[in-house]
Amino acid sequence: MSKPEFVYVTYIETTPEKLWHALTDGDFTERYWFGHRVISDWQVGSAYTFATPDHSVEGTVLISDPPKQLAYTWDTCSPDTHPERPSRVTFDIEPRGKVVKLTVTHNNLDEGGKTFRNISGGWPIVIAGLKSLLETGRELVIDPPSAAQKEKTDA
Amino acid sequence: MPKPEFIYVTYIETTPEKLWQALTDGDFTERYWFGVRLRSDWKPGSTFEMVRTDGSVSDAGKVVECDPPRRLAYTFVNLSEKFKDDLPALATFVIEPYGKLVKLTLTHEGFADGSKFFQGISKGWPAILSGLKSLLETGQPLEIPYAALKFEEK
Repeated sequence: MSKPEFVYVTYIETTPEKLWHALTDGDFTERYWFGHRVISDWQVGSAYTFATPDHSVEGTVLISDPPKQLAYTWDTCSPDTHPERPSRVTFDIEPRGKVVKLTVTHNNLDEGGKTFRNISGGWPIVIAGLKSLLETGRELVIDPPSAAQKEKTDA
Repeated sequence: MPKPEFIYVTYIETTPEKLWQALTDGDFTERYWFGVRLRSDWKPGSTFEMVRTDGSVSDAGKVVECDPPRRLAYTFVNLSEKFKDDLPALATFVIEPYGKLVKLTLTHEGFADGSKFFQGISKGWPAILSGLKSLLETGQPLEIPYAALKFEEK
């Protein structure tokens, strides 16, 4: 039985160095990653945290090979997903002519766990925002329609 | 054993109408789909074809669903010899407003077990849809080298 694994590939008009910076610099991640600032010295074995006032993710850096490969463990620190073990995220950055191929692989996930469901919805938004910011210099306005629609339905 | 299925979600700063046009207008698809023009009158049951720059047809199928600017579905299969054992799988595009963005969900399903075509489309769609997003947001196509997809054939 295969374990759940989430793989997402995109192509971005940027350089491997700029993409590496976008994934590892807190001032930059804050602009596309639901407001999360990432903090780490990015040495293998070091801790990192992604935090906003009401949510955080933390873990340990497993691979740091700029600007080609970055991997870390992923612990959502949420009571929601608490019995689940920390999963693993790997970013592969490969130049392809004038663009860069980014592959995000999130694995070591628990079968039927909430983390798998959450990250499957989250990564496409985060990566869409990352790509837009690198290509246009502007943030995508992530404004989920659910709240407004709910009000309409409730009214 | 789960059937092979490919799902890709992305968010684009555009309108549902512009995204619909980008998915159905051959002049537009040519700019981000590795030169491929889609050809159809987009009526359910009508023929659907992918036309290369030299005029030859690479893939063909039928329109299954057409509800602008919300849902588009068509079957297609690649016409080359190496995919002759493949079934015409169904690609469904769902377009949903998402605040100031549009959410695009592509589901491609109905492949034969062990389908070679499935491996091909799994590499192709991320490149095509990345190019589509860039073109709609920046006005410029992405220059992804076709060789970058590393299809097995040559």
